[in-house]
Amino acid sequence: MLISARDIFVEIAGKTLLEAMSFDVAQGDYLCIVGPNGSGKSTLLKTLIAILPLSGGKLTLNAQAISQYRHKQLARLISYVPQSGGNHLSFIVEDYVKMARYSHHHVFSEWQAHDQQVIENALNITECQAFRDRKMSTLSGGECQRVMIAAALAQDTPLLILDEPTAFLDPHHQVAVHQLIRKLNQQHVKTIIEVTHDINHAAQHSQNVLALRDGKCLWQGPAKQFLDADRLQQLYQQAFVFARHPFHDRLIAVADES
Amino acid sequence: MMVVMISPWLDFVAPSSAEIQQMIIHELRIPRVLFAFTAGSGLALCGLVFQAMFRNPLATPFTLGVASGASLGAAISVYSGLSFTILGLSATSLSAFAGALIAISFVYSISRFRFGFSGETLLLTGVAISFFFSSLILFIQYLSNVADSFQILRWLMGSLTVVGYQELKQLLPFVTLTAGVIIYLSRELNLLMAGDEIALSRGVSVKYVRYALFFVTSLCVGAIVALCGPIGFVGMMVPHICRLIIGEDHRYLIPATLLFGGSFLVICDTLARLVIAPAELPVGVITTLLGGPFFLWLLMRYKSRHA
Repeated sequence: MLISARDIFVEIAGKTLLEAMSFDVAQGDYLCIVGPNGSGKSTLLKTLIAILPLSGGKLTLNAQAISQYRHKQLARLISYVPQSGGNHLSFIVEDYVKMARYSHHHVFSEWQAHDQQVIENALNITECQAFRDRKMSTLSGGECQRVMIAAALAQDTPLLILDEPTAFLDPHHQVAVHQLIRKLNQQHVKTIIEVTHDINHAAQHSQNVLALRDGKCLWQGPAKQFLDADRLQQLYQQAFVFARHPFHDRLIAVADES
Repeated sequence: MMVVMISPWLDFVAPSSAEIQQMIIHELRIPRVLFAFTAGSGLALCGLVFQAMFRNPLATPFTLGVASGASLGAAISVYSGLSFTILGLSATSLSAFAGALIAISFVYSISRFRFGFSGETLLLTGVAISFFFSSLILFIQYLSNVADSFQILRWLMGSLTVVGYQELKQLLPFVTLTAGVIIYLSRELNLLMAGDEIALSRGVSVKYVRYALFFVTSLCVGAIVALCGPIGFVGMMVPHICRLIIGEDHRYLIPATLLFGGSFLVICDTLARLVIAPAELPVGVITTLLGGPFFLWLLMRYKSRHA
């Protein structure tokens, strides 16, 4: 197992944010984490990249406790795409992507041809070449999100963690980012952990789903079995109706507003 | 720089003898220019680091009250007549350093406590701390005798009056150490600008980098304040102008800020000596006169961008 969580607890200022959570992530897996606001999704991601400490349980990466990794070691294994885009940053796109190579360098090491190749790749895959010389603050939300993903790719890690990568995007760019993530998972054999509110996307594209509610794991299993009326009702306290996709034989869930 | 170089000759229209002039240049002018350059570089570098760490162009050792903390420390040591040296550091330097460190821990813990890094909270905290320390300084001044009180007042205006190389020798190690640490951490500073979470996920040990930077900047501000008094706004104007010209990459920003900060203070000091010659203004008056409007301009810009 790449990541293994056993009975983990996270407490901050006396408040329990994650409770008795256990799950596994295998190499090459695509795990979607879903759940209502405040259910602990972002907390879980932050625990995985050692921003937040565990208060109980065991969380291992390649069979070694995450807390035992040095930040730099961990950064060579896990990269992270945060929720908010980098619109407030005034870096040049290329500089920002280059900065992600930090963990592969020490203070006196020089920029290598290999580094350049990695960032060119990252810019190509995310289609950021067209605006690589622009300031990030001048980009649109979708472009910025792609730059954030490009930077995470430049970190060149086997595991990629994304926190609602499509939250602020229009439908077209949502699809583009979804396709990009799938490509990374299938062609570039990256292990993906993604937090999302898009349950249809989770059910259709990912391999496994972890559903959180109130800091606890409500359900986990293969993505194909995720869409279920009772389960969604329990998860979001909201009724859902289902329809068949007209061209593919798969379910689509829509929140019932009637 | 040309102005600076020839300025020693400017205010001596009627030289009495070549020897005296020689002595003035060697004992007064050159050490003073070097001293001003060192202090200016140090102040500008500390400003640069604060702006990067708090991700706010208005955050500097002065706006956040760190300089007032150092001033209070120094004032206390003057008042109580402390005079000892540890490892070549005077009591004034040490207490200024302690004051700076206390102020910075204060600002940092308050800004971390629940509010996150909101710009307003940070600056208001800084203003509150500045006022608090300033009133304590006034209190000490009130308690002191006339001579001490005048000494504190004169020194609070910020001045670069030095004779010989004594002060330069005291200041140079601090500024060199600070510059060294900051240059060493330039890649980390770049990543800190992108946010703590990003920096952490890229592999920066954010906590240790912050501690190291807080420590050296406090040391540097403490030393400068102890020797020259609080010379305001250099740390805000210089890095900001450098950012506008050079961009956000600290690997280039740091040397640029160092050189520009030094030159800037040398020019301000030359102005201070020439404006009402043969008397001279405290250099802090000049920098604050330039800095006040600059601060307002920056505040408007910052506000309109984040509205």
